[in-house]
Amino acid sequence: MKRLEVRNMTKTYDEGSSTITALNNVSMEVDAGEIVAIIGPSGSGKSTLLSAVGALLQPSSGSVIVNGKKIETLKEKELAKFRLNEIGFILQTSNLIPYLNVLDQLLLVKKMAGKVSSADQQFAKQLLADLGLEKKLKKFPNELSGGERQRVAIARAFMNDSSVILADEPTASLDSKRAFEVVQLISNEVKKRKKAAIMVTHDERMLTYCDRVYRMEDGVLTLQS
Amino acid sequence: MFLALKEIKHAKLRYSMITMIIVLIAWLTFILSGLGNGLSTLSAASIKNLDAHYLVYEEGSGSKFSKSLISASLKEKIDAQSEVEDSALFGSAMAAVSKKGIDEKTDIALLGIEPGSFIEPKVIEGKKLDKNIQNGVLANKTLQDKGYAIGDEIKVDSSTIVLKIVGFVENETYNHLPVLFSTVEQWRAYQFAAPGANNGIEDVVNAIAIQAPNLDAENFSEKIGGIETATKSQAINGMPGYMEENGTIVMMLVFLVAISAFVIAVFFYVLTIQKTQQFGVMKAIGAKNSFITKAIVSQVFVISLVGILVGVVLTYLTALVFPEDMPFNLDPTLVVLYGFALLLISVLSSFVCVRQVSKVDPLTALGRVE
Ligand SMILES: Nc1ncnc2c1ncn2[C@@H]1O[C@H](COP(=O)(O)OP(=O)(O)O)[C@@H](O)[C@H]1O
Ligand SMILES: [Mg+2]
Repeated sequence: MKRLEVRNMTKTYDEGSSTITALNNVSMEVDAGEIVAIIGPSGSGKSTLLSAVGALLQPSSGSVIVNGKKIETLKEKELAKFRLNEIGFILQTSNLIPYLNVLDQLLLVKKMAGKVSSADQQFAKQLLADLGLEKKLKKFPNELSGGERQRVAIARAFMNDSSVILADEPTASLDSKRAFEVVQLISNEVKKRKKAAIMVTHDERMLTYCDRVYRMEDGVLTLQS
Repeated sequence: MFLALKEIKHAKLRYSMITMIIVLIAWLTFILSGLGNGLSTLSAASIKNLDAHYLVYEEGSGSKFSKSLISASLKEKIDAQSEVEDSALFGSAMAAVSKKGIDEKTDIALLGIEPGSFIEPKVIEGKKLDKNIQNGVLANKTLQDKGYAIGDEIKVDSSTIVLKIVGFVENETYNHLPVLFSTVEQWRAYQFAAPGANNGIEDVVNAIAIQAPNLDAENFSEKIGGIETATKSQAINGMPGYMEENGTIVMMLVFLVAISAFVIAVFFYVLTIQKTQQFGVMKAIGAKNSFITKAIVSQVFVISLVGILVGVVLTYLTALVFPEDMPFNLDPTLVVLYGFALLLISVLSSFVCVRQVSKVDPLTALGRVE
């Protein structure tokens, strides 16, 4: 059993008279400790795929299977729980909570699940140290550089110790030196913590850190290497 | 609470301004209710102070002292009823008084009572009424500010009567006027000086106050005959202008609270709308609606509670600097009541925002540009 499977997924949008096929019979697999990349032109359906895997939107047909469980069988309440426990989303930099300091950004994830234990505190500090942020624990997002913010977002995605890590263009707002660092960090953490990760990227230079590369074109996903 | 407090701490200016709005609304509400309460006290304090359960009026008077004339001889018949524990004669009149050395006349209410009866108010200075001092009166304390003192002989306008202050009482107003309590006989001498003014009734009074905790008013009126029996609160409502005045005040407060509710709701709504993106992020990383709801509601609760408490403090401070004769009477139960009402309104209005939250699509978190 693979950690993550996508089976024959199709997603269409009705736009008045015409329908847009954002995803066309997409299938893929990612195992624990693997990081795969998805590249492709803008508007080809990469974000749509990631959203569907992350249970943020419902595909028109097909399944997402995490740890052998089909997520389309989950109810609304269970979906929130699924996102909390099984998915780590690395969002864009602007998506930190502006009034929480770096440490609290991570602890928020635990708060959502209930109480924050001292073990959680330790884990959060450990993660932030891994990402070179041990000196920034009390800083607010507006006091951090773009690269630092993105590293916080990465740490947050790992905080709930989920099975799957999803990253949508995590390097979009960074210069290439920072971008390399960030992708390398993601890759390291994925290997170390045995996650199944999908990273969408524009930047072909980042692919060296990935185990496999898929290409998305007009909603059709093909394995490239 | 975690999110709520962190956010308040981080955006102190914004939240202190919102708190300020609540403070101002609370302040205004409390001041108005204090003034309203003061005004209604002024119009009927002496009747509110009566230690009686019921008042007996002339039949057809509609519980109005000014329209009621009955004979004091009814008292015997009333006292003979088994439910009645005690009864006391009562008469009211409006007058103006003056004394040597003071140019200005002062409007007062002259209330006739029996010395030693249960409706005689507590004297705070001087002596009680005395049957043997026929022209002795108890005056409301506020007359001291006008220059009246114990032992003063005061002249009653448009009569030859001269009264003598034997003691002072407090919080005794009737028809917005300070009260002079005299004996029933003295009151009669003033009120019915003109022949025939008493409608030919012997020993006339306006009403008889009775102490009777378990009385069937209707039955009682029938048994005695020629009277109607009103509860104390009916008697208060029968005071001239009392209902109208109270109605105005209540309307003002109702509008104030209703409009405040709207203003508060709009503020919190705008605040919530601004945070749509954040809520999307939280949902994307696994927040349930209830988690975000709790954050919003607890934040509104904290802000409102602080705002209302500051409003209460401000109100009491303002009361200190109000002039002495301002009819301001802050009833602690009213403060608590209005405080809770405002708190409830704020919290309920935050639930409007909560509906908005449940509509936020976590997809907004991906920040896709359409
Ligand atoms: N909510 C939507 N309504 C209609 N069309 C949409 C919606 N979301 C995405 N699409 C369309 O689906 C296609 C794929 O979009 P997306 O997954 O964002 O592409 P990418 O991330 O590869 O740039 C695009 O043509 C886009 O216009
Ligand atoms: Mg995209």
